[in-house]
Amino acid sequence: MTQSDLRTPLVESDPPASTTQAESRRGRSWTSRLQLNRFSGIYLWAALILLFSLWIPRLFLTNATLQGIIADQAVTIFLSLGVLVALAAGQYDLSAAQILGFAAVITAWQISVAKVNPILAVVITIVICAVIGLINGLLVAGVGINSFIATLGTSSVVLAATSLLSGDRLVGPVSDAFKQVALAKIFGVPILLLYIAVAAVIVWYVLEHTPVGRRLSATGANLDTARLVGVRVNKYIVISLVVSSVMAALGGILLVSRVGTVSSTVGPSYLLPAFAGVFLGTTQLKPGRFNVWGTLLALFLLATGVKGFQLAIGANWITYVFNGLALIIAVGLAVVFERRRTTRAKEAPK
Amino acid sequence: MRRQAGAVSVPAAVAQPRPALTDTAISISGLSKTFAGVKALKEASLSVRRGEVHALLGVNGSGKSTLIKVLAGFHRPDPGSSIEVGGTPLDPGSASASRAAGLRFIHQDLGLIDTLTVEENFNLSGHSVKGWLSDRRERRRVQDILDGYEVEISASALAVELSPTHRSILAILRAVEDDMGSDGIVVLDEPTAALPRDEVHHLFRIIERLKATGVTIVYVSHRMPEILEIADRVTVLRDGRTTAEAEVAGLDLDSLVKLVLGYDLREFENRKQDVQTGAVQLSISGLEGDVVKDFGLEARAGEVVGVTGLLGSGYEDVLGLVFGAIKPRRGTVILDGRDVSDQDQGARILGGLAYAPADRRHFGSMPQWNVRENLTLPSPPARGIARWMSKRHEVSETLEWIRRMDVIPVETEKVFATLSGGNQQKIVMGRWLRMRARAIMLDEPTNGVDASAKRAIHVALREAAAGGAAVVISSSDIEELVQVCDRVLVMGDGRVRIELGFDELTDDSLNSAVMTATEAS
Repeated sequence: MTQSDLRTPLVESDPPASTTQAESRRGRSWTSRLQLNRFSGIYLWAALILLFSLWIPRLFLTNATLQGIIADQAVTIFLSLGVLVALAAGQYDLSAAQILGFAAVITAWQISVAKVNPILAVVITIVICAVIGLINGLLVAGVGINSFIATLGTSSVVLAATSLLSGDRLVGPVSDAFKQVALAKIFGVPILLLYIAVAAVIVWYVLEHTPVGRRLSATGANLDTARLVGVRVNKYIVISLVVSSVMAALGGILLVSRVGTVSSTVGPSYLLPAFAGVFLGTTQLKPGRFNVWGTLLALFLLATGVKGFQLAIGANWITYVFNGLALIIAVGLAVVFERRRTTRAKEAPK
Repeated sequence: MRRQAGAVSVPAAVAQPRPALTDTAISISGLSKTFAGVKALKEASLSVRRGEVHALLGVNGSGKSTLIKVLAGFHRPDPGSSIEVGGTPLDPGSASASRAAGLRFIHQDLGLIDTLTVEENFNLSGHSVKGWLSDRRERRRVQDILDGYEVEISASALAVELSPTHRSILAILRAVEDDMGSDGIVVLDEPTAALPRDEVHHLFRIIERLKATGVTIVYVSHRMPEILEIADRVTVLRDGRTTAEAEVAGLDLDSLVKLVLGYDLREFENRKQDVQTGAVQLSISGLEGDVVKDFGLEARAGEVVGVTGLLGSGYEDVLGLVFGAIKPRRGTVILDGRDVSDQDQGARILGGLAYAPADRRHFGSMPQWNVRENLTLPSPPARGIARWMSKRHEVSETLEWIRRMDVIPVETEKVFATLSGGNQQKIVMGRWLRMRARAIMLDEPTNGVDASAKRAIHVALREAAAGGAAVVISSSDIEELVQVCDRVLVMGDGRVRIELGFDELTDDSLNSAVMTATEAS
């Protein structure tokens, strides 16, 4: 960012009329390349599917694999959508994954130990997590702590609460009825797929097609400008962190419903895939923006890769390598594309 | 005056000035500098005698800063230029050569790091440190230097804790003590711009003191009364040429101002007729900030009001204070008859106030967003109870404004940062006209904008006013103010000193008002 500031010429001049043709010509060739950039994830996804289909056809091309990917990803997707909203507002929510684990444990505890009505348990879980998000928001927008640090701190406190409540033992199992929340099928389609679709559409709609979402993104894009055009930036920062916590809570509830029994340390492993997905998502479909469909594409791409390698190599370490590299490559690509866009933009008027 | 020498040698040097090697410290002749075909300096000359305080004067754009940057080795002069420092030719375009020749520069941005101590700031510059840097020893050394100049600054204080005057003094002493030697030359670029008027004499004491040790001072300032007080001789630049060189002794304020402006008063085209003004849209009273004191203004529908002054006079803060972008200490802002003093920016915008900061990149736009998103930013067009934003609808609305503001090319999805400065400013203005702002305030409206776009923005400003808005601009561009404004408030030391009405407003009268506004009047 600072570099591009330095490179900005003090006086920019209007492009002379004669360059418009050349520009549009260049624009077209760029557009074709842009399409490749924008949709590179889809090509890569297709390539991975092809690779595994040829490599391990019997293991990979099964209904179980498909179901597994969807089931695995449902939790991550909820978390990612929350993290996405926070990042769009310029906030890193590092506590989201721990909140997910916390939500899973308290839901399981309420149902299996305290015998609370499952519906009530879910509501209580969501409310508690929303309050945690609110605390994050107040720390960031009210006190003025960097979101990175604030959520790192709350994350540890939430971990403590989770550990205390579970006594560091497995919590559960939940009733079979509650398991149906995640395992039910509608006309043979896993209900998880429906949840994913509904959540994604809602976040997409609000974030990308309402003034609220525009203002939230403005807060993340340039806080000072946003404030000066009348956006109540603190409000949007708080909202984004509350949404992120609630989405994490929903992810946690789905998790406990799917596996039945959870441990206090279940949350943190979801953090990296979620951030990897969201950042990889910024290189797809709407380059340079945090966007919902790009994130979903990225998450399914990552899940396919992880699942495929797990089946082919049969080792657990591959998951970590794959997610870690994906995060670095995703952010690396985003930075490179961004730089290329800006330099091109600078050259264009000349 | 090498390092450890600070404390001891200064008083000694006062008593016994070192004999000068040559009488001329700087001798420049035939100095030209061309930027992209535009001549910023046209065979300018400058002759500074050793051990004097020499003021370099000129209105904005006269070539002062270019000349200084050439001296500093930041710009390479055109071939044929001659620069001699201390009798030897200066290797052009080399900062290290300039440094080796004994030249030291103190810019308006002093180059202090707030979070470091005085001692640490002192040691930031080039002076060589051998091996282990002992805090205690260094602090002692710096404190000795400061004490030697009888400056009440503690070496262990943080730079941020110092008063503006002490900060300037720190920066000057740091440069002087950085292996300069007493035959050195210190160039001060508007050193008093950011200082409270009643503290300027502290700085002058240091300058006098340096002068007494044989140091040569080149002093750039807009504040004419100061020149009379501190300088021995002046050189005036106008349009890149040296137009006058004089002893200060024979000058008074009037003759000095006349010298700077020159006699060739330019004729101004008949700009516009006196406008019909309507109701008061924006009424400000008792506004106070860090610099600004008791600012008041009533702006009516249909008029364009200008606010100007020297850097540091407070003119640059006024609009930010009115909008609330900078938190005012006190003051009332009445917008369209309603008191909005206690409301936040969002409410002020809804009430019809608009503010476009000078720094569009950081405060006025989302550089990586497109034209459409930047234009509709304060109020994205949404329909129905679901607040759905249709892109098609937004595009058509944006197109309408792009055409109205005359932005070329007519493209809604172009990334904002790729537009020229002129087009960017048109989009920003379009943004506020779309909001039907009753009062539009712009800081440096043509900052970073080329000449043709400048005219277009001026036209847009007049049209906005004609459309029933009150327009207030704060600008350092005298010509712009004269061409666009119906009246101009000139600030000095935080207060409005002079108001020039439509009939009195000329380039000359305004330049002169700006330069004399520091005088208590």
